[in-house]
Amino acid sequence: MSILLLALLGVCLLQSTVAHRLAIGGVQPDLFLVLVFGLSLSTRPELATVGGFLIGLYQDSLSGAPLGLNAFTLSLIGFLVSQLSRQVKTAELATRFALLFLAAIASGLTTLLVLRFFQVFRPVASTILWTVLPGAIYTAILGACLLALPRLRWMRGLGR
Amino acid sequence: MTRLLVRYRRPLILSSTLLLSFVLMTLQVRSQSPLADLTKRMLLTTISPILRIAAVSKATTVSLWKEYIDLRRVRRDNQLLREEVRQFRVQVGELQEAAQENSRLNYLLQLGSPSGTEAVAAKVIGKDVTNWFRTILIDKGGKEGIQRHMAVVAPEGLVGRVVDVTARASRVQLITDPESSIGCLVQRSRVAGVAAGSQAGTVQIKYLPLMADVVVGDRVITSGMGGIIPKGIPLGKVIRSSRPNGALFQETEVQALADFSRLEEVMVLKRPPEGDLPSGGGKRLP
Repeated sequence: MSILLLALLGVCLLQSTVAHRLAIGGVQPDLFLVLVFGLSLSTRPELATVGGFLIGLYQDSLSGAPLGLNAFTLSLIGFLVSQLSRQVKTAELATRFALLFLAAIASGLTTLLVLRFFQVFRPVASTILWTVLPGAIYTAILGACLLALPRLRWMRGLGR
Repeated sequence: MTRLLVRYRRPLILSSTLLLSFVLMTLQVRSQSPLADLTKRMLLTTISPILRIAAVSKATTVSLWKEYIDLRRVRRDNQLLREEVRQFRVQVGELQEAAQENSRLNYLLQLGSPSGTEAVAAKVIGKDVTNWFRTILIDKGGKEGIQRHMAVVAPEGLVGRVVDVTARASRVQLITDPESSIGCLVQRSRVAGVAAGSQAGTVQIKYLPLMADVVVGDRVITSGMGGIIPKGIPLGKVIRSSRPNGALFQETEVQALADFSRLEEVMVLKRPPEGDLPSGGGKRLP
């Protein structure tokens, strides 16, 4: 638990101070999603769901998003990834990249849907093309590389 | 009952967290409940001091790293001499940095003073952590008298307005945020419109009549309409203007004068909003 809190703190700092410097064409990687993904690979679905919810709440507090938007998305992603990781071998880099890419796409589409539900309309096609898709590719590449680093293997033990 | 709870704990926990998230969003967006606002402020309050420390640590680390690089160049035979030179260089660097900061702050003060508005200088300590919204965090909050809806400017021009305030930090919605809308004027022809942000991070001027006199290169300033942002603050320069067939209004794109990727210091103009504004600021999400 303490590792998770430290990781959350680190991600909060990195995402709000460094991630925008890594932005390509205005799109920055979503380190909160990478953290939830790492947590979900190593823990049970119920813990991944609660972890995703807490991480999402912090992401909401650091962004202009309404409180609960990312908490909703990340708890759903945490649950789905954790369930899926029990049926798919996730040790390989390519598998992790694919899973993380799908998780990022699902996260983007869920955000778009929830915003639409609350009457915050964004142009669907251009948002998917210029925000969701590039963000998912960037997050998947960076996240898969980060999770493959030997020194970051501790992320696998986040939920223990 | 306990066996049932244990058996269905996964769907139960998932549905509980989703429901709780949904309730929080509904409370904030639909009814602008103080509970959701309070929760968000509490979370922000727990993290903002760490962000502040991180910003200071980063500056110190960069400074220390530069000094270390300088030190590697020092030779043994003239170490003392080079050390002296290094110290002078560090001092000069610090003075230049202080002079540049002073110059920027002076400019900001001049920007605030013509409208007779008291202003507070603030440092940028964080940027928005999603690709969906464009906001920044500054290191001044309620303790310095900052309130929601106050205008925030940089030396080049308007940055945005305050949307969230905690005791020691505030969040500023940039003019490029898709939910931002600010009354504006084309400075040369005095045509009024509404400068709105977009998902792509550009600023569009809405509701400009087809016959309105607008050309590329025109400066755009704030109109003061709505009483939130003072009149006359430079906002941007027209970079594209077109009149599509069948459209009711011109399509005009503006390049913001302030470079939001390099913002270090900003000035919050302490002019309280005139009249009662809704706590959510109209269309804007809290």
